[in-house]
Amino acid sequence: MKGWFWLLLVAFLAGLFWWGMQRNPRELPSVLAKERRPAPGFTLPLLPPYRAEWGEAFRLEDHLGKKPIVLNFWASWCYPACYEEAPVLEAAWRRHRERVLFLGVNTQDKEPEALRFIAQFGLTFPQVFDPRGRVGVDYGMYGVPETFFIDGEGRVYARHAGAIDEATLEKYLKEMLP
Amino acid sequence: MTPALLGNLGVSLALAFSLLGLALSLLAYLQGDGRFLKGARALVPLAVLGAVAAFIALEWALLTHDFSLAYVARNHSLQDPLWVTLVTPWAALEGSILLWGLLQTLYTLLASRKPLDPWRASLVLAVLFGIQVFFFGVMATIASPFATLPNPPADGTGPNPLLQNHWMMAVHPVLMYLGFVGLSVPYAYAVAAMATRSYQTWVEETRWWTLIAWGFLTSGKVAGMWWSYEVLGWGGYWAWDPVENASFIPWLLATAFLHTAYVQQTRGAFKTWNFAFVTLAFAATVLGTFLTRSGIIQSVHAFAEGPVGPAFLGFFLFATALGLGLLSRVSREVRDVALFHPFSREGALLLGAFFFSGWALVVVLGTFYPLLVEAFSGAKVSVGAPFFNQVSAPIGVGILLLMGVGPLLPWRRPRREILRNLYLLLSALLLGTLLALLRGYTLGASLAVGLFLYNTLAVGLLFAEGMRARRMAGLSPLSFMENRKRVGSLIVHFAVALMALGIAFSQTYRLEVEKTLYRGQAWEVAGVRMAFQGVRALDEGRRFAVEALLSTDRFGEVRPRLHFYPQMQSPLPAPRVIYTPGNDYYFLLMDFDREKGEWASLRLIVTPMVLWIWVAGGLMALGTLYILWPASRREETRGVSPA
Amino acid sequence: MRLLLLLLALSLTALAQEGPPPDLPPEVFRIARELRCPVCQGESAAESNSGVAVEMRRIIAEMLEEGKTEAEIKAFFVERYGDWILYEPPRQGVTLWVWVLPVAGLLVLGLGLFAYFRPRRPLPMELLEEAERRLKEPPA
Repeated sequence: MKGWFWLLLVAFLAGLFWWGMQRNPRELPSVLAKERRPAPGFTLPLLPPYRAEWGEAFRLEDHLGKKPIVLNFWASWCYPACYEEAPVLEAAWRRHRERVLFLGVNTQDKEPEALRFIAQFGLTFPQVFDPRGRVGVDYGMYGVPETFFIDGEGRVYARHAGAIDEATLEKYLKEMLP
Repeated sequence: MTPALLGNLGVSLALAFSLLGLALSLLAYLQGDGRFLKGARALVPLAVLGAVAAFIALEWALLTHDFSLAYVARNHSLQDPLWVTLVTPWAALEGSILLWGLLQTLYTLLASRKPLDPWRASLVLAVLFGIQVFFFGVMATIASPFATLPNPPADGTGPNPLLQNHWMMAVHPVLMYLGFVGLSVPYAYAVAAMATRSYQTWVEETRWWTLIAWGFLTSGKVAGMWWSYEVLGWGGYWAWDPVENASFIPWLLATAFLHTAYVQQTRGAFKTWNFAFVTLAFAATVLGTFLTRSGIIQSVHAFAEGPVGPAFLGFFLFATALGLGLLSRVSREVRDVALFHPFSREGALLLGAFFFSGWALVVVLGTFYPLLVEAFSGAKVSVGAPFFNQVSAPIGVGILLLMGVGPLLPWRRPRREILRNLYLLLSALLLGTLLALLRGYTLGASLAVGLFLYNTLAVGLLFAEGMRARRMAGLSPLSFMENRKRVGSLIVHFAVALMALGIAFSQTYRLEVEKTLYRGQAWEVAGVRMAFQGVRALDEGRRFAVEALLSTDRFGEVRPRLHFYPQMQSPLPAPRVIYTPGNDYYFLLMDFDREKGEWASLRLIVTPMVLWIWVAGGLMALGTLYILWPASRREETRGVSPA
Repeated sequence: MRLLLLLLALSLTALAQEGPPPDLPPEVFRIARELRCPVCQGESAAESNSGVAVEMRRIIAEMLEEGKTEAEIKAFFVERYGDWILYEPPRQGVTLWVWVLPVAGLLVLGLGLFAYFRPRRPLPMELLEEAERRLKEPPA
């Protein structure tokens, strides 16, 4: 009994650990996306450059159920991921602005740094300011950047953690748009 | 000659000599030719030279700020104080592997000097060379500390700021590695014994190695706990973090092995168990290094991931397969019959060893459970400190009970005379628990008090017994102190009981509270009255520090700090700890008014009896040293009571 | 000069500082210790200094002031992060086994020891005493 039992155990451990190394231990599933829950609402102040167009405060509930929304959580200190995805998001916004609303949430950051970031990438989609990160907790955020895709009915369709690339972005948009 | 050149040369030479040594030792065993063994032995110091050269090269590169080395560019900066520079070799992955390899060659050197029959000597050397081949092989191929950069920067980023905050960085990793590497020698002897079927003597021959390795592991663990407590700003000393567990598991198994080895030395029993425990202890060590360096489990301690994961996995699987394979043959051929009554010293030691290894298994279960669940169902679960605390408590109680009564039990079977001692111990336990309960402590804390009294009484009884035996033999009772093994182990057991008491109280009665104070405002909490006087800024070169000035009624001026490092986004709190025999007062500056310094947000953590944990740790180290201290000839021949 | 620049930088960030953080009673830490920090995943929400953990502690403080119970606060976080956020694995579902296995192991240990010590055909007394004698002999 003894001989092959230990061999089997060692083989099992080998398989388990090998599999373990292939995946990212930090990854967390998004409860909202898994269960397609309605997107949690919030009201946040807009950053100065966008107040002219969108007003003083942005209320998410006003925009749910009308168009699909791409909600992107970012911070100026999240280097290099946020810096990589900012141009991708801006380009996608300019392509799809008639049909999709892009909203950036600057989380756990300082206003001067956020403004500097926006200026650096020339972001034209609306940006709101959440220094405490309360909205992030409501969305089950565990790091920046994270991008949530909210479909036309106001439900969370998908969540992408980490810098988003063009291919993934287009894929989700295609799935959400009728 | 540049550091990179010397370093690469050193690593390559160490690898080459170890490979050659491995080949020669295996040939010596297979051919039975003594000349191969002589050759292998001659290569041992050469491998040491290679390793030492490589280590010196790394220190040289650091001290001369040679940023052409990738390791130096990533982990060193011109601002680092001298002591930080000197300990940077073990601040990151590649350097830590070099340190491990160096210590391994030194241990091989010491082990090779002991005379041993040629059959086993060749296998012992083969195992030790094999381990060296692995570590230097990894350094030569995938994780070289001496990789160079084509465009060296003018300055580097320096080591992780968490590693710069406290001098313990110089001590804790080295102690841990000395312990881990030390276990390789008993493992090598065990493999040789199992392969050559000489099952009895290896335990006696390695007893000092085992004790020394255990001593280093224990001191290293306690040092790590204290470092975490002093530095990390959360006021705790143990978090059941996967990497902490990875070094706890070998310690548990090494403790089990230490005690069953003792039985084999004195009574000749537990042969199979000893092979099993030492194999498991060494396998656990390798599993620990794999866990830390492979990135399969998220941990605050883990080294940055790299390609070393698969290599360490392979090493772990090989070492485990080798040990378990040989063990299966041994267990078929050696019959360990229970020639003793369960209620005897052998019985207590065996049960104790099972408790320790059972504990190790539970910690393994908890650490790897999330991985298992994710592999089979994809769900993410978390097994955190509350689980480990709750399952460890009953096991700890069992161990404390055995620790007191075990040494008092006679060998082989219970005798009537010990009943009196057992009644005394039981009364101490009940009395202590009852008194504590009456004083209003929780059940857990009261039980800890009872167990502490129980164990202190047990140690006292054993001292009395030892001194009585000496007096009856016509010697001075104080000459009992010459029985280093007995006295040392009694000191360690007492220290364990003290540590358990400290842990029980500090876990049960912790107070944590955060408050913002304005300048001049006073705050009275937990028996301390403090007033916030203001903040002060200091430029310390590699970091920028902000100090809050608190004037307290009991402790004078206390100055917790926040350290701002350029490479970190948020500041690191540097706590100020006030140790008193009763409570520890832990002051943390969390935030402050950056405009005018008008307010500061402070966190105060008050934990009882933490000081005694460190005292107990020191006692454990002292007790171990006492056992290891070379005895004079006179002492050796005057042994009176059986060990 | 560097000191001045650093002070300047810090004071600029003060423009965004909201004011002193709220006081946190011990109850907050007691509950936070049972929740995991989502960012520094090895630490609990009480220990971690990451932004999310700080916010979690604030939320707990606010909820306690509103009169919510510990169970409600934990449910709040589980609703957003899943069961994973609980530091102590729940005693149901897939994590039930991590609690059961140690107890099962203890039972197995007990059975094993029982089998080990079960009286077999006892060795004759002379053999046992000879073994004892040989152990006590001084080494040759």
